[in-house]
Amino acid sequence: MSTTKHPSVLAQTVSTPVILIGGLALIAVLTWAFGSNIFGRTVTEMFIRVALVVGMFTFIGNSGVISFGHAGFMCIGAYGSAWLTIPPMMKKVLLPGLSPMLANAELTFFLSLIIASLFAGVIAFAVGLILMRLSGIASSIATFAMLAVINTIYSNWGPVTGGTSSVVGIPITTGVWISFGGAAAAVVIAYLYGISRSGLALRAGRDEAVAAAASGVDIYRERLIAFTISGALCGMAGVLYAHFLGVVNPDAFYLGVTFISLSMLVVGGMSSLSGAVIGVVLISAIIELLRKMEKGITVGEGTLSLPNGIQEIAIGVVMIVILMFRPGGLTGGAELSLTRTSANDGYSKKDQGSGNHPDNKPRR
Amino acid sequence: MTQPLQAKQVSVSFDGLRALSDVTLDIPPARVSGLIGPNGAGKTTLVNVLTGFQSPTTGSVVCDGRDVSGLSAHKLRRLGVARTFQGGRLFKDLSVLDNLEVTGVGLGLTRREAASRAVDMLDWVGISHLMTDIAGSLPYTDERRVGIARALMMAPSFVLLDEPAAGMSAHEADDLADLIARIVKDMKCGVLLIEHNISLVLKICEHIHVLDSGELIDEGDPAHIKTSEKVLHAYMGTQGDVDMQGAIL
Ligand SMILES: Nc1ncnc2c1ncn2[C@@H]1O[C@H](COP(=O)(O)OP(=O)(O)OP(=O)(O)O)[C@@H](O)[C@H]1O
Ligand SMILES: [Mg+2]
Repeated sequence: MSTTKHPSVLAQTVSTPVILIGGLALIAVLTWAFGSNIFGRTVTEMFIRVALVVGMFTFIGNSGVISFGHAGFMCIGAYGSAWLTIPPMMKKVLLPGLSPMLANAELTFFLSLIIASLFAGVIAFAVGLILMRLSGIASSIATFAMLAVINTIYSNWGPVTGGTSSVVGIPITTGVWISFGGAAAAVVIAYLYGISRSGLALRAGRDEAVAAAASGVDIYRERLIAFTISGALCGMAGVLYAHFLGVVNPDAFYLGVTFISLSMLVVGGMSSLSGAVIGVVLISAIIELLRKMEKGITVGEGTLSLPNGIQEIAIGVVMIVILMFRPGGLTGGAELSLTRTSANDGYSKKDQGSGNHPDNKPRR
Repeated sequence: MTQPLQAKQVSVSFDGLRALSDVTLDIPPARVSGLIGPNGAGKTTLVNVLTGFQSPTTGSVVCDGRDVSGLSAHKLRRLGVARTFQGGRLFKDLSVLDNLEVTGVGLGLTRREAASRAVDMLDWVGISHLMTDIAGSLPYTDERRVGIARALMMAPSFVLLDEPAAGMSAHEADDLADLIARIVKDMKCGVLLIEHNISLVLKICEHIHVLDSGELIDEGDPAHIKTSEKVLHAYMGTQGDVDMQGAIL
């Protein structure tokens, strides 16, 4: 057979990450040039969320399996970096149960970022060995159980994690540019995974697991790869977050962040990378606006303020409204692209109709 | 592969319902065999067993002289046993090219290699013009042809076609017959054709198996099947399928 020339997938789709990172860079530059300190913190938090949600997307978007557990990997990354970077003097007091190697470690931020992210990836791999065998709703519930287990361990293993009290003394290094770097790195990694062999195979199995198996695809394996990478990316988001606040505690990585990050993914459109990024930016903007309004805005003589808790309600409402009108999220699964060929490379999901055929349901 | 793909005394029960009873059949390499039978006879279940989607309750599947009963579907595909689905089951969000590429990738190629093989395969089947279409948007017959092309990627030793001509016009069925002939001749691939279009089966299959209520009731060459009392009886017993009765009578 002849080898026919065909434009590479990379060439056809690379405009997507370029546009996304370009957009984020623009936000970073504007913040740096014009933003206040406080606004800078808001933007930093948003970039960290981009890294987190893009990490979640790497698994959820490609596999179609909703995970409620990824905040757990964020927790693992954050504590991992706390162990590696808090000055040993403080650790002796705060975390007396750490192994000597960790107790004496005082790594630089970047080294710690890499090691703690990889650690989260390793844990994701180990958990995934079991969880990825499940499918459908069972696997989603199992990821939720995993989150509960991780939270319980970190809340109760006092000598190593400080229990429910906050662990302080983490060097504060994450600012606008470092968090932007983290978000951009997450976008690049998620993109490269998406166009990889594993990414294509996993997306094929997303809607037609049976046909994917008939094409030689080992879905378990591909899911495990995606889960591992996505665990590492969420771990990285956790590291960035720990070095943003300088403090970690287990409840920062539990239900609240799970709800917000999944809302962002769903609102943007959970089966496209662009959707993940757009969802974060949009919901972050809404949150910021509402936060301002909760504090109160001056109208003439008096101040008008919204009751506390309106944030969660508003996000819930936004999510429901968007899902009513666009079940596939804002992007409907399409990617931002210059070449308009993204529909042809298998990297985007166009139509959300259900197409189950009346074939026999294979039992394995 | 020079050895047949075999089902040996395969039985499958679904919660008491016996979908297959003691079925033994050989699919010889580089030949077209047929499998016919009324609705609900167990044809698809047999395909599922032969391709690793359904483990037999009892009995075994043998491929290349080796017992492969316990193997999962993707492993059997890697051993060269491919199939299509009655309902198409294309990856509807992916382009036609990517639908084929998935098989290449599933069998270990890089995306670049897989894409180039996929381009060649589309050309071979004669559907290059569909390359960039999204699979979910294809009309029925094109969907069928893409399904076959996807199964044929990487030259499998056997391909099991589950009702490929369903919904095709007579002319399209003729094209399908030509394609199947080329699969055998050019790829040296063993084909099992499952069809309700009996005249197509009688025209191109060297050997035909007849399944009824989970049991193999007869087998033989087209001349034999045409005149078989048992086969006639099996089809007469069913309503609907006027087509089949017509073709046989
Ligand atoms: N997964 C399953 N669970 C329970 N029963 C099943 C399952 N798959 C098939 N059956 C039953 O087994 C019998 C054989 O079904 P099968 O689909 O194999 O028939 P078929 O010959 O392919 O029919 P058709 O010509 O309609 O495609 C039917 O009675 C069917 O209802
Ligand atoms: Mg059938």
